[in-house]
Amino acid sequence: MFGSLAALQPRQLAAQILNFALVLSTAFMLWKGLSVFTNSSSPIVVVLSGSMEPAFQRGDLLFLWNRGIETQVGEVVVYNVRGKDIPIVHRVIRRFGGGSAPLSLLTKGDNNAADDTELYAHDQSYLDRSKDVVGSVVGFVPFVGYVTILLSEYPWLKTAMLIFMAASVVLQRE
Amino acid sequence: MHNTLTRVQNVFGFFTSVAFAVAAAIAVSVVLSAQSPSASLELRNVQVVKGRPHYYSTKREEYAHVKFDLDADLSTLFNWNTKQIFAYITASYPSSDPSTIPPSEAIIWDAIIPANNALSHQNTYIHPYTKADTKTKPKKPTKKSKKDKTSKPYPAGTQPGILRLPNQKPKYQITDISSKIADRGNATLRLHWNVQPWVGALVWDNRKTVGRWQGLKGGETKFDFPALKGTEGIKKEDLKVETGGERNRGKPA
Repeated sequence: MFGSLAALQPRQLAAQILNFALVLSTAFMLWKGLSVFTNSSSPIVVVLSGSMEPAFQRGDLLFLWNRGIETQVGEVVVYNVRGKDIPIVHRVIRRFGGGSAPLSLLTKGDNNAADDTELYAHDQSYLDRSKDVVGSVVGFVPFVGYVTILLSEYPWLKTAMLIFMAASVVLQRE
Repeated sequence: MHNTLTRVQNVFGFFTSVAFAVAAAIAVSVVLSAQSPSASLELRNVQVVKGRPHYYSTKREEYAHVKFDLDADLSTLFNWNTKQIFAYITASYPSSDPSTIPPSEAIIWDAIIPANNALSHQNTYIHPYTKADTKTKPKKPTKKSKKDKTSKPYPAGTQPGILRLPNQKPKYQITDISSKIADRGNATLRLHWNVQPWVGALVWDNRKTVGRWQGLKGGETKFDFPALKGTEGIKKEDLKVETGGERNRGKPA
């Protein structure tokens, strides 16, 4: 691999690096642009658990929307528990307040027997819409996000993918 | 360059573009399918009693137990892109300051109604047989057929989305954030649904007609929460709740 890199002209090498940087920054800008458009810190999430089955399975891709802060009962929201950084996708089953008062929500997974009171932070019985909720689910694509679950669960896959990409770069030089 | 790798890359690229185009076409085309849902929802009985949020809690709260009659035809909501419908009934009641704070709302009953071509899953709603059903279909579901993987939660020949539930128990006893729910007037019981697609946008119920989707007529009823009752005067069976098919035992996230 390094041999083929060394064989490149300096200009060619620079162009190659710039091209790679362009691809990376385009992807990053698209993500951040979508983030601004949806007003959500993570506008696309991958489902990590079976708590919303059979609607959402592990690996399904969800599109979030966070404008229109008056979340209604029956909406599926993604929230982060205070002090933990795991996004949870569950349905709103109770709402209190809103308007001039802060909006409090209670959530439950469609496939969980009990509501989420046990999941929340120790002194918390309801979610605060403006602080805890990342967005409301508006779109669904099955299975596409499974690759991210595979990558995080089987670290050797990451290595395999890197080797494959490096190999393809070398092969395409020839 | 026509080596194997570029060929594989081209084939994979073409496959993803075609898959994306087909998925987009399916997701958008649902606006063409006509919908005409109808429902009638009546309150059967509502009781308010004192209770605890869970067994080990010392907190005493007021809980409302709402029984209802539902007669709904949501069968037209099932089209080529419907995986399931999450049907739910909410009770909403005015907040402490109705002029600036919208009404509070809570789900009292819900059910996951799968489409006919959806994979079978334990967490889908199995519609109970009524007497009228057993007359027309003498074959009662045996235990064996319930366990059968291919069996559908509907009696043969009937469509998904038809709900006839007389004197239905709630799935959830509800309380207010203030723990007090007795004697609240001007409450509404309302049927809602969430159509969950195979691919594309999630859709909720519409009361107004949009294009080919007719708005829901009916499915709404007014009531008042009664005064608090002592638990001595009420039989335990009257406060039972329906158990759903939820079976998640993994990580709750």
